[in-house]
Amino acid sequence: MTPNAKRLFIAVIAVQIVFLLGLVGYRESILSLGRTAVLETVPVDPRDLFKGEYVTLRYEISTIGEGSLAPLKNQYFLEGEINEGDTVYVNLTNIDSDVYRLFVQADKPSPYADLYIKGRATQMRNGTVTIEYGIEQYFLPEGRGKEIETADDVKVRVSINRSGTAAIKELIVDGTVWRP
Amino acid sequence: MTEHTPGSDSEQIVERSDSDTEVEISPRPTARQSWLKSRVERWRQSGLITDEQSQAIMDFESVGTPRFRLGIRFNRLIVVLSTLGAVLIASGIISFVAANWQGMPAMAKLFLLIGGQTAAYWIGYQLQFVRGYPRVGEAIMFTGAVWFGANVFLVAQSYHLGTDNPDLMILWFLGVLPLAYLARSTSVTVMAVGIFTVGISWKAATWVDGPESAFLVMGSLFLTAALLYSIGMLHLRRANLKLHAGPYLISGALLAIGLAYVLTFNEVFEDTRSLTILDFQTLSGSYLALAGILSAVTVAALVVAVRNSDNNAGNPVGRYAEPGVVALVIAFGWFTATLPFNSIALYVTAFNLLLVLLIFGSIVLGIINRREALINVGIIFFVIDLSTRYIELTVDMLDTSLAFVVGGLLLLGVGYGMERARRQLLRQFGITRDHGTEANNDS
Repeated sequence: MTPNAKRLFIAVIAVQIVFLLGLVGYRESILSLGRTAVLETVPVDPRDLFKGEYVTLRYEISTIGEGSLAPLKNQYFLEGEINEGDTVYVNLTNIDSDVYRLFVQADKPSPYADLYIKGRATQMRNGTVTIEYGIEQYFLPEGRGKEIETADDVKVRVSINRSGTAAIKELIVDGTVWRP
Repeated sequence: MTEHTPGSDSEQIVERSDSDTEVEISPRPTARQSWLKSRVERWRQSGLITDEQSQAIMDFESVGTPRFRLGIRFNRLIVVLSTLGAVLIASGIISFVAANWQGMPAMAKLFLLIGGQTAAYWIGYQLQFVRGYPRVGEAIMFTGAVWFGANVFLVAQSYHLGTDNPDLMILWFLGVLPLAYLARSTSVTVMAVGIFTVGISWKAATWVDGPESAFLVMGSLFLTAALLYSIGMLHLRRANLKLHAGPYLISGALLAIGLAYVLTFNEVFEDTRSLTILDFQTLSGSYLALAGILSAVTVAALVVAVRNSDNNAGNPVGRYAEPGVVALVIAFGWFTATLPFNSIALYVTAFNLLLVLLIFGSIVLGIINRREALINVGIIFFVIDLSTRYIELTVDMLDTSLAFVVGGLLLLGVGYGMERARRQLLRQFGITRDHGTEANNDS
């Protein structure tokens, strides 16, 4: 290997390391600096043979519209034209109260939203929009999936940064924080 | 690269990496080697060549005192065993980290992830370039590249990011591709191109929503296949890049033939919602831009490859057949994306013709350009296509058990015939050794 190639070789390895550290740093910054919200969820599809044990989480705000998991007492509003693949922002202000309004805004968050989460519209059918937020999987230690699967009530505390990107902080299972 | 020398018992199969150029020689010189030895001696005595040149020619042709050299299969065994060993060690460590992730201190995690990856690269570098163990070194370098990919997924998993995400594969590909070239590693190139092909196909699949967009995706994958193949052709034009060409050529060929095969079925063109044929698709501006860029880059690569071609200079078929087939794949990419006609029969006929052309094109181009892997791709898809057509033909005509028995017999017969034909083709065109030599090497 020539000296130049050796330098490039070291540079490529350095870029790989910086990338990994950057990914860790970014997620840690969301968890430590973001604002938190508690989301209602239903765990489905508890495990995968190849990726280890995890639960797939379907949130109340994953499907907004007629086919929504949200109780009918809650209102939703789709603002702007939303197409499949679009980035959308869901206003989470007052999500902890009994009755709240869900605003799903395309392209950019509403200037009036106090707390919002960023997602991607994956399906748009008959006025119902399905949204993914990048927090749909929770990986578990081997053999612990049943505890989540059999629980009556599962909530997820998420941390959300200023741009709306969310990271899972912890699970709340039957009212208590679940320790892995 | 090993040159082809007709009539030689020790000639190599096809374009191989520099690290694979060692040949197995028999202790007893062949008639050709004896003839060459006497000629070189005459040239030396007549003053045409010097003693050093004479020795160099003898060494190059492996004529002279029989020396024990490791055969190509033995070298491959070293590579396979070393790679398997290194990957197993890395998998064990990564599994341990994954299983105990929650209970490990943060520093220990980082040390194992990044320290392990860096150590693999460093040991690989030392063995490959400093200590003179190129094969084991390359295997450990390969492990470092696998380790990087595992780290990407492990970090994603530890922060509960969805790991069924093709973007992670594309990031892995971007991370390891430069390493393949810097370390001059064919195995890392194979991995990088493989990751790219799977990642881009997976990414394309996430865009699918409904039958129409499936055709847009398949159209763009045809264009990607053409691009991969043309990049492989470009690599062949530079001596120092030739060892990286194979993975691009084979990935491109596999992707194009695989897509053509999928599109030979009637059902693919029916809209399952309305049971009518799919309509002509108007392409969006962004799709046009993406497909246009892919096509333009591929055509530019083909032009450069043809201009710099030093092989088959006097033979237009050898020179233009390969770019012609790639250009046809580009055309079919656009055809697939737009679906311009209103006839399922026409589409099915067109893609069946394309499949046959690509299968035989692979075999013929493999023979012309001495690429055994390309011949094998063609033969494998020939058998798959033949089996499919047999099943389609007999499924309604014969009793199931009889169809299986007749099909099995036919496949065995076809397999035997193909193997014979393959051997004859490779031997006839001097791409591999004769049966006896192969058997020796196998043993």
